[in-house]
Amino acid sequence: MESLLLLAWLSPFIGTLLILLFKSASWRIKSLLGILSILVSALVSSYAAYLFLTEGESIHISYPWVKSLNVSLGAFFDGLSTVMALVVSWLSFLIAVYSYEYMKGEVGGTRYWLFFTFFVGSMMLLVLSDNMISMFIGWEGTGLASYALIGHWFTDEEERWVGEPGRRALGVPMWSEPSHSSLRAIVFTRLGDVGMVIGIATLHTLAGTTLLSGLLDAQWATQLLSKGVLPVFLWLLFLGALAKSAQFPFHEWLVTAMTGPTSVSALIHAATMVKAGVYFALRFSPFLVAAYILLQGGIGSTIIEEFLVGLAVIGAFTAFMMATMAIASRELKLVLAFSTASQLGYMFLGVAVGTLAGGAVGGLYAGMSHLMSHAVFKAALFLGAGAVIHAVHSRFIDDMGGLAKEMPITATAFVLASLSLTGVPPFLGFWTKDEIIHLSSETGLIVPTILAVITAWITASYTARMISRVFFGHSHHKAHEVSPVMFTPYLVLGLASIGIGAIWPSISGSFEKMLEHTLGGENSVHMLEGHIPGTFEATIILVLLLFLSVFYIYSIAKKQPYSYISKSPTLMKLHSFLFDRWYINALYYTTIVDGFKETSKALYKYFDTLIVDNFYHKAIPKLFQKLVNVTSIYIEHTWDLILHHYLVEGFKGLWRIFKQLQTGKVSSYLLYLWLGLSLILVSMYILGWFP
Amino acid sequence: MSEIPLLWATLLAPLLASILSLFIKEKKSLAILNSAALGFSAIVLLYLYTSKGTTWIDPVSFSIGGLGTFALVIDPTVFLVAFSIAVTTSVIALYSLPYMDHRFEELHHEGVSAPGWGSYYFLYTLFALAMMGTVMSTNIVEFYIFLELTLIPSFLLIAFYGYGERLKIAIMYLLWTHVGALLFLIGALSVGQKIGFDFITQGGFRIGAANNLVGLEYAFWLMILGLSVKLAAVGVHMWLPYAHAEAPTPISALLSPNLIGLGGAMMFRIVYTLFPQMFASASPILTAWAVMTMIYGGLMALSQTDFKRLLAYSSISQMGYLLLGLASVNAYGIAGTFLHYMVHAYGKAILFAVAGILIATYHGLRDITKMGGLAAKMPYTASLALLGFMHITGIPPTLGIWSEYLIVRGAVAQALQNGSTWYILLAVGLLIAIGLSTAYAFVTMRRIFYGPLKVQEAREANASLWGPLLVFALLGILFFLFASLLIDPLLSFLKTFPLGA
Repeated sequence: MESLLLLAWLSPFIGTLLILLFKSASWRIKSLLGILSILVSALVSSYAAYLFLTEGESIHISYPWVKSLNVSLGAFFDGLSTVMALVVSWLSFLIAVYSYEYMKGEVGGTRYWLFFTFFVGSMMLLVLSDNMISMFIGWEGTGLASYALIGHWFTDEEERWVGEPGRRALGVPMWSEPSHSSLRAIVFTRLGDVGMVIGIATLHTLAGTTLLSGLLDAQWATQLLSKGVLPVFLWLLFLGALAKSAQFPFHEWLVTAMTGPTSVSALIHAATMVKAGVYFALRFSPFLVAAYILLQGGIGSTIIEEFLVGLAVIGAFTAFMMATMAIASRELKLVLAFSTASQLGYMFLGVAVGTLAGGAVGGLYAGMSHLMSHAVFKAALFLGAGAVIHAVHSRFIDDMGGLAKEMPITATAFVLASLSLTGVPPFLGFWTKDEIIHLSSETGLIVPTILAVITAWITASYTARMISRVFFGHSHHKAHEVSPVMFTPYLVLGLASIGIGAIWPSISGSFEKMLEHTLGGENSVHMLEGHIPGTFEATIILVLLLFLSVFYIYSIAKKQPYSYISKSPTLMKLHSFLFDRWYINALYYTTIVDGFKETSKALYKYFDTLIVDNFYHKAIPKLFQKLVNVTSIYIEHTWDLILHHYLVEGFKGLWRIFKQLQTGKVSSYLLYLWLGLSLILVSMYILGWFP
Repeated sequence: MSEIPLLWATLLAPLLASILSLFIKEKKSLAILNSAALGFSAIVLLYLYTSKGTTWIDPVSFSIGGLGTFALVIDPTVFLVAFSIAVTTSVIALYSLPYMDHRFEELHHEGVSAPGWGSYYFLYTLFALAMMGTVMSTNIVEFYIFLELTLIPSFLLIAFYGYGERLKIAIMYLLWTHVGALLFLIGALSVGQKIGFDFITQGGFRIGAANNLVGLEYAFWLMILGLSVKLAAVGVHMWLPYAHAEAPTPISALLSPNLIGLGGAMMFRIVYTLFPQMFASASPILTAWAVMTMIYGGLMALSQTDFKRLLAYSSISQMGYLLLGLASVNAYGIAGTFLHYMVHAYGKAILFAVAGILIATYHGLRDITKMGGLAAKMPYTASLALLGFMHITGIPPTLGIWSEYLIVRGAVAQALQNGSTWYILLAVGLLIAIGLSTAYAFVTMRRIFYGPLKVQEAREANASLWGPLLVFALLGILFFLFASLLIDPLLSFLKTFPLGA
């Protein structure tokens, strides 16, 4: 009976297989297979959560897969993975339902469901793994699925692009075709994965097991410290998570990933893929706490502490940077994409400062609660955006406006989710973001805290701008509300944003308790203590103020700030800076991409062809040719001369002499005979042939 | 009761088919006969692997005077190599039928009358069985004879049916691989003179037999260098891009993954087992060479426009992975090497075959810059190509992820022993190397299959071309799922060797 819990991740994979088998079936059948397989996963996850809550302890089943590496397949439901499995499976289910209508009639239906279910299965596998290897396999599976889905429209028609066709920054195109975006996604994320796999291999080597539970004693940290590679190791291990969750400097892939179908964007941003990175950080941060406690007082604990501060800085910086880009964007999906990367920054900040301030459960609670609230509101926003883009046939917000009248349900859901994103009380997003800023101030880390507060302000501004430009203000387009199959999922999510938010203060305690039952979750420690006053007040007051003013400017006063900005060259420069994503993309292409391209070309031209090829296939053959010439002139020729000239001539001379000897006189012949015999006898004597 | 000499049977069956081929005219029967004979070998190997325990030496052997005993052996490492060869050659024998049909026609247009179907399959299967023989051999001289036997047929296959300046390239190939073989031979003879030519006896590997020999460093390095030429490690890779790019495509699909990988396999089976101490102390040099090969091959692949040449450079890079596993001198890394041999065999066979599909379907189209958007018209070919690249870049659900992990696991353990500098250098090297592999693989996918359609009259190729390749993809996925079948025996076998951490 317990083995049925495997279906939590296995069921979507079974769906993948069935969809492959029924590839010629109708869209309806394939969709049904996809949706049902994910529903089973969600139901099983819920049942597991029920068991977990009633029994109050982790559920662990495992069947050996590759014994010699301790790799097992199974299901491991502890506090963290139970919550995560619920979030992933139910959101994926809602997005799958939405997809049925949204993707109907599009090309590549089989491919869509194939990779959709594979995506969910891989994500669930990674969440429910009890060992690093199967976790890594699920991890790589999400990478493959995202590659395929981001490039779903691989024929690259212009309406599938992201970014403004024709716009360049430093000569680098700022638009991206689906096939280009999918390439960027897999290359960026797999770069991080290399670090991660090195990290896993290191832990496997030192801990002697790939089981997550084998990392709790933290002996690996002692060994790494003595070998002098602890800091390098920590960054390598988390590199995959940073890349997957689009943290600076790996954030670029997520932005262009918007070329995928909007349902896929929702899946990537809310339930799978980018959340995998945060999940990884959450999964491993308790082990860092264990290592900290073991090494406390020495240099080792300082290294871990500094690493967490580093994570906090990266998270806060990413949050800030991406939020600024969202202000200037003209594409609805892009605004949401920037916003995701920014919110992921909050999550990393949350994991880091939570762990620093309160140990394992601090990080788990801060990171996981914001992950959950973001998953809910961001899925709603993306699904709503898909409906809007569908309705107006444009991805640009300039073509939208005033849609609240024509699409009231979509507008309601979208605004509810937006308020959660903004952090307006009592929406869920308010509680979870506030917790992160609060913990950040409790660590006394000034820079991350200030960045986090400013980011909250910017978030309020771009969110207000976004809903104003889409649903309020001037109307540009005739549109119709979408069908219930499409709007139900995001309406549910929009309502959940406020619903869960309303009861959050009363359930957050038990939520935290639940997370304590995570592997290594009971270790509490205060690595950093401090207090920065006034962060809560500064945040909430300015967030509300900015949200309302921006909303007023766009929706009620119906002003277009862009017309003012475009008049000032300085402001336009700033605008371009934000619009062209801080020129980071351009910088990557002009340095790294072109660098490798040029190195490759030059190396091929000047080394492989000019040196290697010429050395082996010109110089060496030439050398031999020379040798042949020399031998033929000096040795072969001389030898030839000796054999065919001097020898012949010599014999001729001999013959002449011999002829002269032919005198006919017997006495001469006798003399010759005697002389000859004597010569032979003397030579034999000299050679010692006589005894 | 005397046992049946099943290992010899795995060589005799193809030999019989190969000789029979000379007397058969009908091409379909030829393809089926040769594919079946090689398929038989694959099945027998699988049977022996699953039923005979770790190591099994064939009951029939030949003792030849001072040269020692010529026997055949199977153990988990041999199985991975020999089975991969048998499967690849069996499948590609079928693929050859439509492909060579097209090639003969082309040659006919060029006004060349190449030897016919019978000769093709004769040479083909001879080549295949000789490759299997090399890895099963227990004696250095026996190994060398099999190695020679691989070179002559493959040389003729390139010379008869290749592209471009095929004769010149065939000679170049013959020459350089002979130089490699000779370097190896000189080293091997020096060692063999002192300790005999058997590296495996009835008692198993003669581990460390050459450890205590004085003044044989040169022999060790000659053997390493000779096998590295075969492996096409950077610096001695000059022959590979030509040979693999211009060979008739089915032969490229055998040369690239199967033949060159033998260099790595034998580096372990002969050189490592005889000289474990010297090998361990050479580990840092070999590691550096391996990572350089990975990076160099990847960088070169990135700027190629000829699809087959790109794949040839990719093979160089992949051989770096094999060498890296060996250089780790521990069970995990070496297990990774042998597993990756299989991964690369399936992956690269698919990819070369895909290159062949494009050549056969679009009249010799090899220039990537003229391709684009083909996935819309060729869904099966594109999916297979993706699976091929997934194998070599280690993406699930293919076996590649296991071999990649094991190689990294081995290399990391070794680097941790060697100190922090090595650890950091290895990390940087791997980030670049694996990053490059991912980049050229997926850049190539994009250039050939995605974007706007650039090829006129694009259409899916004949199923007789892509159908056989499904076997590779399927095996790669099945072995991913049932990885324990391969990894567990392999690791427990390798752990009996005196290896590092």
